Amino acid sequence: MKKIFTISVFMAVIIIVFSFNSAMAEQVTLRFSDWHLTEDVWNKSLNEGMDIFHKQYPNIKVVLEPVSYGEKETKYTVESAAGRAPDVFHVHAFSLPMFFGKGFAKDLTPFIEKEGSGFLDAWYPLPIKLMKHNGKMHAMPGDYMTMVLFYNTNMFKACGLDPDKPPKTTDEFLAYAKKLTRDTNGDGKVDQWGFGTVGAKSPGFSMRFGPFLWSFGADYLTPDMKRSALDTPEAKEAFAFFVELYTKHKVVPPGLTAMNPQEVRTQLAQKKVAMIMGSGWTPPIVNKINPDLNAFEVLQCAPAPVKRKQATAIWLSSWVMSPSTKHPNEAWQLMKFITSKDIELKWFVDNRVTSSRKDVSGVAPEILNDKFASVMASQLPYGKVEPQIKQWPEIMDTFTTSLQEAIVGMKSPEKALSEAHERINAILAR
Amino acid sequence: MWIKDRHMWMVFVLPGVILLVLVLGWPAITSILYSFETEQAGDAAYTLANYKSLLKDPFFSTTFWNTTVFVFFSVALHMILGLAVAMVLNSALPAKPMFRVIALLPWVVPDVVAGIIWKWMYDPIYGALNDLLIKIGLLNNPIEWLSNPKLAMTSAILVNLWRGFPFVMLILLAGLQSIPRHLYEAAAIDGAPKLQQFIHITLPGLKKMIVVALALDIVWEVRRFGLIQAMTQGGPGVLTEVLSTYTYKQYFKFFRFEYASAISVVMTIVLLLVSLPYIWMISQEE
Repeated sequence: MKKIFTISVFMAVIIIVFSFNSAMAEQVTLRFSDWHLTEDVWNKSLNEGMDIFHKQYPNIKVVLEPVSYGEKETKYTVESAAGRAPDVFHVHAFSLPMFFGKGFAKDLTPFIEKEGSGFLDAWYPLPIKLMKHNGKMHAMPGDYMTMVLFYNTNMFKACGLDPDKPPKTTDEFLAYAKKLTRDTNGDGKVDQWGFGTVGAKSPGFSMRFGPFLWSFGADYLTPDMKRSALDTPEAKEAFAFFVELYTKHKVVPPGLTAMNPQEVRTQLAQKKVAMIMGSGWTPPIVNKINPDLNAFEVLQCAPAPVKRKQATAIWLSSWVMSPSTKHPNEAWQLMKFITSKDIELKWFVDNRVTSSRKDVSGVAPEILNDKFASVMASQLPYGKVEPQIKQWPEIMDTFTTSLQEAIVGMKSPEKALSEAHERINAILAR
Repeated sequence: MWIKDRHMWMVFVLPGVILLVLVLGWPAITSILYSFETEQAGDAAYTLANYKSLLKDPFFSTTFWNTTVFVFFSVALHMILGLAVAMVLNSALPAKPMFRVIALLPWVVPDVVAGIIWKWMYDPIYGALNDLLIKIGLLNNPIEWLSNPKLAMTSAILVNLWRGFPFVMLILLAGLQSIPRHLYEAAAIDGAPKLQQFIHITLPGLKKMIVVALALDIVWEVRRFGLIQAMTQGGPGVLTEVLSTYTYKQYFKFFRFEYASAISVVMTIVLLLVSLPYIWMISQEE
């Protein structure tokens, strides 16, 4: 009897161990990386999202890997080159050509084909087009927003400006900015400026400058993207307008060439500037920096000021699957989940970023009735994306370098722009 | 015993050698090979195209000059301030250990953190530096420390002075403590003034330490990255762009691995040349 009992216990232990091992074997761990994980509001939202995912897919465990906004390309490049990139990661759409060119993004076509025809019809056509490399989907679109003019309604009122009548043209914009630039404490020194903007060599610069350039009727590159288009009178006019906001009209705070997006948002949150260019992320971040401002109430937004034609920049992010992932099917489940209709709506509700899915951004009452999102959605028809070419980061760096030289008075705007034009042509001819 | 005693050292050395080859040698060789490739030519073709491009690249020559200025003034100021502070800390100072710790503090602050802190210190609106200078009456209006083309490089060098002098100070302090006291006592009895003592006792006594500090500091300052990247990202224009930030940009922002590797190889050659006196001195000692 004792022998039978011992054997039974032994067998039971073996069964338990094997069952446990088999359960462990089925458990798949995915690495998911996103710069949003370093932002309080987004971090909470993403963690909640992953909790939902874990409930739906108990066999998949997602490990979150934060990365700073400025270093994401560096991290993913190095890790991709070493074959150790996160299974799923988040980048700007304009970074995609570099990842495509180096083979750092997995072809998603087989997964999409399995979902059945019409799967991609839920998205706007432009984001889908930008995710393709050699005609095949190599990424899934994420946030899809336009840049608009955010302004502090209280500061407008204090200067006698009607917050319900934001500037519509660039002339009005300049007049407003001049009026909003003033000495508020009577010490004889200006301590409030009309407009805050990015002037540092940051990926955020082009998103803020593009609307001005395009509205003046100019562009960075020719339509075939083979040459610089910065030698046109319109480009010279737009460049000079932007530079003179700082040098001549002094409606932008000092230290412009060192200003990154977060510092500019801090200026808005601390009531140092009255207007900035921003998008869906602006109100929650400003609110986080200074809750006393009551950003969701006090801030308002309007289309970017117009010179010759309505234009703005489109922000588009993308989700990439690493070619070195050992669990492509599970990684696809994760990508499908984070870009699903319900979750895209959650990203908006939590973080105010609109979706590249038309069955979300085009129909959800939460978005259509939101005072910020409705303005951003109204600008989508006028939105332009930055050129999707691998030389783009270098071109923008060259352009920003010249702009900084004009801003600090090292060169005249004409000379600085002319040099940028020549250098960009040299980059494209290489 | 299957290994003879006189060969035993190999067993102990081998793991270290393998590790060095893997961690340093392999990336270095890969980088050198990369520098002879071009994006267009493919892996099989090795050319000097990247090096020829470097010679024509106006940003590279500017960056090289900026690096020279940055390193020269940083190291010179490190030496002057480091020696001065080391001499103060070597004197009969009350609470000496506390002052030594205070003097070392900037050195323990990571590069990027120092850059971020000083970027805020220099900020024309919120910055503590302008505020202080205005309050004590030295300024009427805030200065744009990092955006003024005449001040940007100087501002970066000043931060680097603050951050980097403790290392030199530490080496020179060790050197000062090794100079025999009786030399100063004899000089004092002979009536030699302090300046003469400094020229004829202190400086010769510190000669080796000065070479060590110079060589190491130059190498570190040529590689200095986080500080400038966090403060100016090379701007305004390319006024504060140095070789390390330029290489980083070419590699990680523009994805030009081959061109960035060529810059790295040039940087390495320059650093080797700079290190030669130090290497020579060490070999002479042995």
